[in-house]
Amino acid sequence: MIAGKIKLIIDSDLSHVFLVGFSVNRICLEIPLSEVEAYQVEVCVVEAVNNTIKHAYGNEKGHEVEVLIDLDTERITFQICDTGVAMKAGKKPSLEFDPDDRENFPEGGMGLFIMHEVMDEVSYSSSRGRNVLALTRHLVRNSSEG
Amino acid sequence: MRLEIKKLGRVTVVRSLESRMDAKVAVDFKMEISRIVEDDNRWIVFDVKDIVFIDSSGLGAIVSSLKMLGDEGDLVIAGAGETVLSLFKLTRMDRVFQMFPTEKEAVESLAG
Repeated sequence: MIAGKIKLIIDSDLSHVFLVGFSVNRICLEIPLSEVEAYQVEVCVVEAVNNTIKHAYGNEKGHEVEVLIDLDTERITFQICDTGVAMKAGKKPSLEFDPDDRENFPEGGMGLFIMHEVMDEVSYSSSRGRNVLALTRHLVRNSSEG
Repeated sequence: MRLEIKKLGRVTVVRSLESRMDAKVAVDFKMEISRIVEDDNRWIVFDVKDIVFIDSSGLGAIVSSLKMLGDEGDLVIAGAGETVLSLFKLTRMDRVFQMFPTEKEAVESLAG
């Protein structure tokens, strides 16, 4: 069982996000999570980083996005940190649509929904200009967590 | 976004040559599909067999492309691997798109 912490820092540039994705996926595979689980966790972290770049930093390059990864025997936690515009608090997102109503299929807003579906804990905090989105996946899962 | 595009009868096959379909390339994909649809190509197979990573931006771009077709035409998915397929299922987009294991089967379904 591997354990440890690592901090990744990228510029607020969408073309750099893949570096975080690769790292997250590789770490997850080493835990080991399955290929599908590792991919889904990678998606969650990438979504969080994308949201930071687009919304916290308004797609402006030149800012730091930090991803802290903390792995122990029971969980892996990702903290995605920025010093941009804080996210507004909201309800847990849903993704409801009629599969026969093509005109109204959602094209966006799926990132937070995916995070809540895949991760066991999702929380957000903002203090003294620093915003942190924390995503936790339990490694020992009970039957209700799937 | 690097794509290979070929026409088989009335069907246009668009194959991704990128392994990642994310926020960086999503807009390019939409623009490319927009050009294809403007040329009156309304039966599209999107072959994703070489894509190992897609996020909601990529998925949103595919949805947007389907919506460009309106009531005439269809966009179907071919070759989705287990990981990519899991995202379609997680977001229930597997109820929106017809998914085929191979390009050949997808083309046959749209050939008319």
